[in-house]
Amino acid sequence: MSPLFPFQLPAANPQVAMLAAVFVGFGFGFVLERAGFGNARKLAAQFYGSEMVMLKVMFTAIVTAILGTTVLAGLGLVDLRALGDTIASDTFLWPMILGGFLIGVGIIFSGYCPGTSIVGMASGKLDAVLAYGGVILGQVIWAEVETRGPIARFHNSGALGHVYLYDLVKVPPQALAAAIVLVAIGAFLFGEKVERMVTGAVPGAPAPARRWVFAGVGAFGAVGLATLILPAPGAARPVPAATIAAPDLARRALAEPWKLRILDVRPMADCAKERVPGSECTPLDTLKRLELADVSATRDLVVVSERGLAEVPADARAYRGRVLLLDKGFEGWREWALAPAPAPAPGAPEAEQQAWRLRAGVRSALTGVGAPPPPASAAGGGAPVKRKAGGGGCSG
Amino acid sequence: MGNPDKYWNSYLAGVAMGLVLLSAYLFVGKGLGASGPALRFVTVAAEAVAPGHVAATPPLAHLAEEPSPLANYFVFLGLGTLLGGFVAAYTSGRMKAGVSRGDTAPVGLRLALALGGGVLLGIGARLARGCASGQALTGGALMSAGSWAFMFAIFGGGYAAAYLVRRQWR
Repeated sequence: MSPLFPFQLPAANPQVAMLAAVFVGFGFGFVLERAGFGNARKLAAQFYGSEMVMLKVMFTAIVTAILGTTVLAGLGLVDLRALGDTIASDTFLWPMILGGFLIGVGIIFSGYCPGTSIVGMASGKLDAVLAYGGVILGQVIWAEVETRGPIARFHNSGALGHVYLYDLVKVPPQALAAAIVLVAIGAFLFGEKVERMVTGAVPGAPAPARRWVFAGVGAFGAVGLATLILPAPGAARPVPAATIAAPDLARRALAEPWKLRILDVRPMADCAKERVPGSECTPLDTLKRLELADVSATRDLVVVSERGLAEVPADARAYRGRVLLLDKGFEGWREWALAPAPAPAPGAPEAEQQAWRLRAGVRSALTGVGAPPPPASAAGGGAPVKRKAGGGGCSG
Repeated sequence: MGNPDKYWNSYLAGVAMGLVLLSAYLFVGKGLGASGPALRFVTVAAEAVAPGHVAATPPLAHLAEEPSPLANYFVFLGLGTLLGGFVAAYTSGRMKAGVSRGDTAPVGLRLALALGGGVLLGIGARLARGCASGQALTGGALMSAGSWAFMFAIFGGGYAAAYLVRRQWR
């Protein structure tokens, strides 16, 4: 897989990836401990109002990471939506709300969340060992039942795919980030007020660290807003008219259909009659309605026309991902996939034989005309179908 | 040796945590998490004892099918978390065997609640496809709508149940 972001370490090297994981984990564990979460009382205090450490640490962390990603996205250095689609899990609204409620109860019962219990164990706390043991037990119990009957229905209910707050409120992510900064600062001031009410402390001078953090997040929020007046990345970029040949399209459509979106822009009647498998019939004048500017850019868009296009259709240019034009259009596809192909001579190079097997296989699947049995080969048929990697998060 | 009562300022700790999260996003292309390794260890152990049962339980079978379930980002992340917590606790003088509880709370009650609460955390983490770090932090900072709903639900659950178990923290 090519790196999604300019900074990403090469995932192809497992040693580097695992070492990076240990480094990230080290930072996570170290900060959790220094914030006080190795001690269950510190986390529990959040829910009695005496010390809102959980609110402050968690919300500041979220605001910091939001500002980092949105500012980089505003500068055109990362694709925020692709980042979210890759890392965040899909939304399953109802189980997430119930799961959150159970975790909230679990936190106040155990004094840990799974992450802090690891740090509690590292600090020598027996209750943390039991809490993590409970995390294991709870997951096993749920894994046993989550695929059964009504429980499975609930477990997968409210499936909305990837939904982001900036889509719901329909503002640019950087503007939402700035609003979240304001809400966070408001929540922190309110939290501190509650702390003073509960502990009876008199308001003293706030720590200088707090002032720096508030000023810092405010400044970055403003920088994010400022990036909105930059020309949108890609707007001025000439759209490269990359093409894809019929055999490559067939191979990709079979091996990794989730990475492709095939749009057939021929008139509806032609498309309805015959089309590349998996394609959507979207005649040119309906392309606008797909709002390609706003959809996730994680899949490559393949445009199928009658005889091949010289350039990307205007309404597909707004798509932020890769746009490929099917070489010679549907004519090219018909010629390759639907017409009978002479078998290669015995003793032809392996690559040629494999290409023919794919072609003959696609043809027989689409036309129902049985292909002659492919010549035996140790290499086998098409590319193996890979399974999509799961979403991010703890369940990974 | 540091002062065991001295913690980082919460806001500064939050910024540090946010930078850790950001580097996970940008350099690794993944987030944070803590509950995943647990299930992987159990799957590997159960595969050795009762392979038939693992194969009959789809979520476990799914993990067991991987060529090496433990060679996973989240497993190494968890090892790093343990290591980072260990170094931080040792250097701050907070490394001390014991049970964290209220000054007058019975140890037995505290341990029972720790285990019971842990079970709820585990069930909740499967339901929500992640725990407080894997779902709330990681998804929340990517502005995933489900993660935000999850986060509010965590606070809701915590405040709803806090009164019930106040004795263990006093």
